[in-house]
Amino acid sequence: MERLLRLATPLLGVIVLVLLFFSLRLMVTNRFSVSAQENAVDTKSFQYAFFLPGSDNAFFDGLKQGAFEAAKEMDCAVIFHSLTSGSLSFEMASYSGANGVAVFSYGNDGTMVSNLEKILKKGVPVVQIENEIVSSPSSVLIGTNSYDSAKGIAKIALSSEKPRFNIALIYSEKNPALLQDSNLFEIGIKSVLGDRLSRLYTEQTTFNPIDAEGVIYELLRRFPSVDIIALTDTNDTLVAIQAIIDLNLVGKVQIIGFGDDETIEEYVDKGVVLGSIVRNPFEIGYRAVAALKEINTNGNTSAYVNTPISLLTGKTTAPSRENDSP
Amino acid sequence: MIIMVVSLGFILINSLDLQYIAYFRFQEEHYFQEVQTNLSELQEPLEKYLTDRSSVALARLLFLIETIREKVPPTRPISSDETYLMKREIYFLIDAYLSQVNQIIEMKRGRKVIEYIDSYNELRRLYAHISTEINQVSLHGFRVQLAEYRNFLGLFRRIQYQNLILIIVATAFAYTLLMQMVNRITKPMQQLSNMASQLSNGNFALPDLHFSSVNEVNQVASAFNHMKSSIHHYISELKKQKKMEQQIMKGRVQNLRMEQLLKRMELYTMQAQMNPHFLFNTLNTGVQLAIVEDADRTADFMENLASLFRHNIRGKKFFVPLGHEIEGLRSYYAILQIRFPKNLKLVLDIDETLLDGYNCPAMILQPLVENSVLHAFNHTEKVGTITVRVHLEDPVLVISVADDGVGIMQEVVNELLTPHTHDYQLGPKVMGLENVIQRCYFFYPDQKDVIDIRSAPGKGTEVIIRIHTEVEPCIEL
Repeated sequence: MERLLRLATPLLGVIVLVLLFFSLRLMVTNRFSVSAQENAVDTKSFQYAFFLPGSDNAFFDGLKQGAFEAAKEMDCAVIFHSLTSGSLSFEMASYSGANGVAVFSYGNDGTMVSNLEKILKKGVPVVQIENEIVSSPSSVLIGTNSYDSAKGIAKIALSSEKPRFNIALIYSEKNPALLQDSNLFEIGIKSVLGDRLSRLYTEQTTFNPIDAEGVIYELLRRFPSVDIIALTDTNDTLVAIQAIIDLNLVGKVQIIGFGDDETIEEYVDKGVVLGSIVRNPFEIGYRAVAALKEINTNGNTSAYVNTPISLLTGKTTAPSRENDSP
Repeated sequence: MIIMVVSLGFILINSLDLQYIAYFRFQEEHYFQEVQTNLSELQEPLEKYLTDRSSVALARLLFLIETIREKVPPTRPISSDETYLMKREIYFLIDAYLSQVNQIIEMKRGRKVIEYIDSYNELRRLYAHISTEINQVSLHGFRVQLAEYRNFLGLFRRIQYQNLILIIVATAFAYTLLMQMVNRITKPMQQLSNMASQLSNGNFALPDLHFSSVNEVNQVASAFNHMKSSIHHYISELKKQKKMEQQIMKGRVQNLRMEQLLKRMELYTMQAQMNPHFLFNTLNTGVQLAIVEDADRTADFMENLASLFRHNIRGKKFFVPLGHEIEGLRSYYAILQIRFPKNLKLVLDIDETLLDGYNCPAMILQPLVENSVLHAFNHTEKVGTITVRVHLEDPVLVISVADDGVGIMQEVVNELLTPHTHDYQLGPKVMGLENVIQRCYFFYPDQKDVIDIRSAPGKGTEVIIRIHTEVEPCIEL
């Protein structure tokens, strides 16, 4: 017993000291401690406000990730606001103390333009993403070239090995850049397909995420000769796929999608979707922050920054996407 | 104890942290609510001023503007924290709002009606936006707070478990430490107790206690060891003294017995002298009567007898000159020759040169000769010879009385030569051979050969006294 006591005492003493050490360390280093909170504020050089549509999809998630990554690397802070109807955030952006504004503008209405002009008038640097609604020396356009996207759709159509194509092109208010550049977009398709393009039908969806289904039904009812449907929005693509399956037109009508959603990739592999145009939202977000930082530090930057696209086809699986950037 | 205090302090600090976080959150919430209230309060005086240019409203308006401006932090560093950025935007919006209010007041003063109406509309939209933003910050802060609170609870639970383990281990540690300390005290105390028990049983041959305990116990042990040694020493001394006292008492008893023996011997001597005095006087009267009656032979006999008695009633001395003893023996011889003229022959072989130079115990020759006369020739018809020899075997004076009588059995010889112990009870008849033997032993206790008897049945008896002339007798002469 005495020997046990003699051994146990130093052993327990050591354990107590170890536990005490870990407890003290936990107390000092945990992020809730007073000292940790005092050091929590990490000061940044610039604050940039991003104004994006309220829809939540992979494109905007990727864009946010790119912006965050760039902010982290470039000693900046970013805050995201939603461009929902009734929100005054964008209108009051010029008062918010932001060192720069990045906006994914859609709908060429006067309010958006006037608000953007108001911001520019205040001398706040602006980056317009994908869609340039106001031209200004203080504004930079960052996005995918519509002509390149059109050529990508045409190339995917060629992979179907059809002799001639009856293509239905579905624009969307969710992707106003392509809607705005519709003429350029259609020229891009025709330039690749040439005489093999029999007809090019155009339709348009709204912000409603599921209205593509009605548009597809109506399109195929009115134009049964359509054999390829090209979409310009990821949600529209998913809804269109389901519509084609429901109408039992798989194989007869092929889809050219937009975006690299996991479900789209799956249907590309199954052959339901001929291919998909994939933008690089991370790159867009990253370059937006970089452009704003450059304006803040150097006073100017390139007026247009093109972000490349890639093609997702059945022949080229996800890891080996075809880069179609110029 | 320290560990327990630290653990409890640790829990307290974490609890305070929790309170701090809650307070911080609520303080911020309260702050924005106050700002929102101030902004709301500002609407009324502003409208009133724009309506009727009320100076009271203007004063109120300016007061509220300053109040709100003081509440807004002047420095607004940029952080990556989303909530912080939202607050920062609100501060700038409030700045813009207050600036715009000032501009509207100036416009009103300058009667720029269209401009201040447009600005007022813009101001209302800005106010609505600030309110929305504050609500969003509150909502966002509340959500973040909930998440933080959940995280904090997780951390706090972890800390509580950790502290529980810490307290349990610390308690066990304290217990073992306490037990060790108790053992350090109780074990030595137990050893002390055992030693005390041993000492109480008289066992002092114990090794000293050596252990390492608290100072007080060590001092007790040291004092105990010292006490044990001291008691051991004192008891040994007492034992020695007791032994010495016993020896002294034994010596005293022996001396007392010797004195008693001497007194008894003296008494016997005095008793023996009483009659000889009377007889001596009577014998002198008889000698005178024999001379008057012309009986010469009777006169010689009685004269020798008187001479013998005169010799016997000598002074009170234990030792006498050898010549004196021989003189007495000659008188006794003369008497014996008259008593036994035909069947007893007495031979004296004495070195005359020794008679004046040496002493010998008084009354030793006559009793020895008398013993031979009385016992050596019983039941025999032959002429008995008794020979007395005195010579010097330097430094030993040898006196022997020999007869050619019947002899003495060896058992009797051994019995006679046995020295009497102190408690030996003298019988009524202590004179004679036994008397002489015991007196020789008494005077020379360290000389076992002071007297010897050589005898065998039918071969006579010789009693030999060997007096070492260089050894003093054990009694004063």
